[in-house]
Amino acid sequence: MICSIKNPAQRRYVIRMWVAAGLCILFAAAAALTFRLSHPRGFFAYLAATLPALPILGALFYTGVYLTEETDEFQRNLLVQSLLGGIGGILALETVWGNLEDLAHAPHLDLIWVYPLFYLFVLISYGLVWLRYR
Amino acid sequence: MKNRLRVLRAERNWSQADLAERLEVSRQSVNAIETGKYDPSLPLAFKLARLFGTTIEGIFEEEL
Repeated sequence: MICSIKNPAQRRYVIRMWVAAGLCILFAAAAALTFRLSHPRGFFAYLAATLPALPILGALFYTGVYLTEETDEFQRNLLVQSLLGGIGGILALETVWGNLEDLAHAPHLDLIWVYPLFYLFVLISYGLVWLRYR
Repeated sequence: MKNRLRVLRAERNWSQADLAERLEVSRQSVNAIETGKYDPSLPLAFKLARLFGTTIEGIFEEEL
């Protein structure tokens, strides 16, 4: 699949995202194992708990890098619009859900879901933007 | 913005993919510009004009 991507910037982006996803799973497993076996406290607990978030920060950073590397302005424009859709979507959802939690006692939505939901909104936006230019 | 890309391309017997390769962009980009759904930046418009040996106004026309 990756080999079929002709655009070098897009190919690098997809590879980096797969690496980030793999590291995220690996680090999440390592953190879970650390907490189960050694029950870290204080600074070390914070350090171990932050570990799975690092690949996500890397993915966000490399999304920015892709936007600087992409020489096809139309493709760049597609991703920028999709990212704006993703940011708007997650902000709207969190705002509405926050009010539901506060006032209507809706179940708590853990912040750990923010990034996966953000990417879900990005994917939905990308599909809609792509349809617009089809 | 209206444009004459389809005509200019047909005169040279180029497909959208041919033009995309010459411009170093994706075929989707050429299609979006050609159908008037996406207005290119000035650098890309100049590149198009150079490629077809004309001016930007010779390709693009403002819709009033």
